[in-house]
Amino acid sequence: MRPATALFAVAVAGQSMEPTLRDGDWLLVRRLRRPPRPGEVVVAADPREPERLLVKRVRSVAPEGVTIQGDHADPAESTDSRQFGPIPRSAVVGRPLFRYAPLDRIGLVR
Amino acid sequence: MDLRSIIAPRLVAHAHCDIPCGIYDPSAATIAAQTVAKMVEKITGSTGTDEASRNLFIRSVAVKEEHAQICKKELLILWSDYFKPEHLEKYPKLHDTFWKAAKLCSKNKQSVDAQAAADLQAAVKEIADIFWATKK
Repeated sequence: MRPATALFAVAVAGQSMEPTLRDGDWLLVRRLRRPPRPGEVVVAADPREPERLLVKRVRSVAPEGVTIQGDHADPAESTDSRQFGPIPRSAVVGRPLFRYAPLDRIGLVR
Repeated sequence: MDLRSIIAPRLVAHAHCDIPCGIYDPSAATIAAQTVAKMVEKITGSTGTDEASRNLFIRSVAVKEEHAQICKKELLILWSDYFKPEHLEKYPKLHDTFWKAAKLCSKNKQSVDAQAAADLQAAVKEIADIFWATKK
């Protein structure tokens, strides 16, 4: 999945990024042209199903790929690089900048 | 088209364990029920016999029919897919509430009845209140 615009919106589905992101959060995402940096939240194509987008945090960036992981304290709540290994840099699509809904959670994504 | 549907993301970013969790929201049913009530108002208030008035009348009937159906569909999705046995334990009237609300959707298709439209709005609100209570 490659959104055509430099900015696009996604709805978060699932709990693996709690407490940073919650199920149902609406995010404004900026397409990322530079390599991702460790610690950033990114939207990436699922290596197992490229049409599907994931949202996870970058743990490390190495020549063999980008390691991504959910923020949730319980590893069972997230399927990420711990299962499918590092993903190619090219799989990283964008970086969520801003949560615009729900209203009481509006703010920057860090 | 309401604001919500304009600003809603077209894409989903998954933050999952591998089991997909749906996103559920009673807003769609709420808006559909409001639309039904609004159309009943328009139909009842329509007295003109000129072409423009007849066109508006017929459109209002069609939109009422359509949104009563949308309301029913949205309610049934919440009922069958979102609510779980734990919710039923906490809200024992849940099945009855949904059943009555779905029937009210049908009643609003069959009739032009401000009371039925108000009853539908109330029933959807009751479901929405339960939904948001389960999210706390």
